[in-house]
Amino acid sequence: MATASAVIQQEVIRPQASLWSDAWRRLRRNRLALVGTIYLSFLVVVAIISVFWTPYRWEEVGVAVPYSGPSHANLLGADNLGRDILSRLMAGAQVSLIVGIGTQIVVLAVGVPIGLAAGYFRGWLDSVVSLLISIFYGIPDLLVALILVFLLGPSLTNIILAIALTRWMDMARLVRGQTLALREREFVEAGRAAGAKPAKILFGHILPNALGPIIVQATFGIPSAILFEAFLSFLGLGVPPPRPSWGSMAADGIAAYQIAPHFVLAPAIALSLTLMAFNFLGDGLRDALDPRLKR
Amino acid sequence: MLTRGLAIYITQRLVLIVFTVFAVSSVVFLAIHQLPGDALFNEHLHGNEYQQKLHYYGLDRPLYQQYLSFLGNLFFRGDLGESLVLKGVKIMPVVLREFQVSSEVGFVALLFTVGLGMIFGVVAAMRQNTWIDYVLSTTSVIGYSMPNFVIAAFLILLFGFWLANATGGAFYYQLGWTGRYGTIGEIWLPAFALGFPYASIVARLTRASMLEVIRQDYVRTARAKGLREQVIIIRHALRNALIPVITILAPLVIGILTGGVVIEYKFGIPGLGKEFVQSILNKDYNIVIGVFTAYAALIGLANLLVDVAYAFIDPRIRY
Repeated sequence: MATASAVIQQEVIRPQASLWSDAWRRLRRNRLALVGTIYLSFLVVVAIISVFWTPYRWEEVGVAVPYSGPSHANLLGADNLGRDILSRLMAGAQVSLIVGIGTQIVVLAVGVPIGLAAGYFRGWLDSVVSLLISIFYGIPDLLVALILVFLLGPSLTNIILAIALTRWMDMARLVRGQTLALREREFVEAGRAAGAKPAKILFGHILPNALGPIIVQATFGIPSAILFEAFLSFLGLGVPPPRPSWGSMAADGIAAYQIAPHFVLAPAIALSLTLMAFNFLGDGLRDALDPRLKR
Repeated sequence: MLTRGLAIYITQRLVLIVFTVFAVSSVVFLAIHQLPGDALFNEHLHGNEYQQKLHYYGLDRPLYQQYLSFLGNLFFRGDLGESLVLKGVKIMPVVLREFQVSSEVGFVALLFTVGLGMIFGVVAAMRQNTWIDYVLSTTSVIGYSMPNFVIAAFLILLFGFWLANATGGAFYYQLGWTGRYGTIGEIWLPAFALGFPYASIVARLTRASMLEVIRQDYVRTARAKGLREQVIIIRHALRNALIPVITILAPLVIGILTGGVVIEYKFGIPGLGKEFVQSILNKDYNIVIGVFTAYAALIGLANLLVDVAYAFIDPRIRY
């Protein structure tokens, strides 16, 4: 009898799971999120490989007949200057990933401290931050980023800064809200009673507890930044040529859609798949990190 | 419905819009005049001609004088100056005409967004966890993952090329815009490309809030009363399910209007967006300033309309 109940206990009581291992378990169970994660890992690998090796050099003109379709030598065909589309697609992944992740790093670096400070100290600081946030929400982000890139000159760094400047308030608003809620909780009060300095409370107690929503928000921020870059490049104001960007490739391709549909389809499909993968991953993370939705 | 409170609210918002337009145009004006070079450099003018042109446009005066006369002309005479590329072309009438075109396309796109989004969302919610739901949900993820210029590319390819080839030219979408207002045959495709990604967002929201509302007691009561299913859904459930959807209309409108930049450019629609891109590429700074000012006004007015609409749809909101 004793052994039987031990077996039952073993089966019923799962090992204690932390929020993160629990979230990871739930994320793996979400099939779409898993597919998205696999695709994105593949994309990262492709982007890294493309730094060292691509089937042809991506800037090399005339490796095939211009506008020629997919063939054995050029798996995805050639573009308007006879460059290999596959090689350019691989190199373009670098730009998209750098812009997507770089922008979110800047947004985190700006938005998190601002949100924490505004939510924790409140008072005039919060009023100023809230006003700034609502002003930034009222302006057309796309156009402001366009003007900024135009004024600063098109380079990868400027594109990242311009996008981050128009998107930092998403993060700041989220963190501020989280901080406002968390600062009233007992463990924060206990920290304060024990004499912890604000910096310790903010970064040691409040931030770790707000990390879930922050990660989700950052994950959703990546595709929107990639989209932004593609949009700028599509208009010819993004990453300067000859460096390939999926946006500028699509722009060149759409000009020739009647004679070479593969030229516009290749970057468009790559872009859509990447954005979709990030959105699936974001959906999955949100479900996994939000304990209220626990099934 | 036009109460005194609403009138006061609208007046306040209009004043705020004027301030926004002032701030936006000032920032753009001052920023753009920091740039080295201008449209006049493109023309390879000789010494004296260049000076004459600078003088003609007032560009040889100190910046503060230029700025003051820019503001004076804009707010007291409704004048945005002349194009730097096309000498003698006044910007204001051009921008006003494009303002109309852009709001027209944006409005039709918004109809697509709300119409399609609501229908998709309600159908997916009513048929939860069936293949219809899965197809619609997947379509909407694809929809908001596709950049609108990719959608535009596909649609142009599909309707302007493949369909025409397949039907021997019977169905053919002609890119471009005729006349001042365009025709329905010309507007629907760009408006669809512009509205579809946002329709996906509306569909997701509608589905989620429909699922919540449909389990509420008053919906069960309506069923118990023996009402027809359509009446329950449209009159009872949808009305409340739409409230969360309405709250995202304002960012949607901004998204649609700014998304118009690339759609207008690609579909050859003579709106603010196309002008914006072209004037930036031409370095025609006077038009850049003018178009930016018009955009600020357009977005301000559209948001005001949305906020006033809230009050009519949700009686809990009062101004």
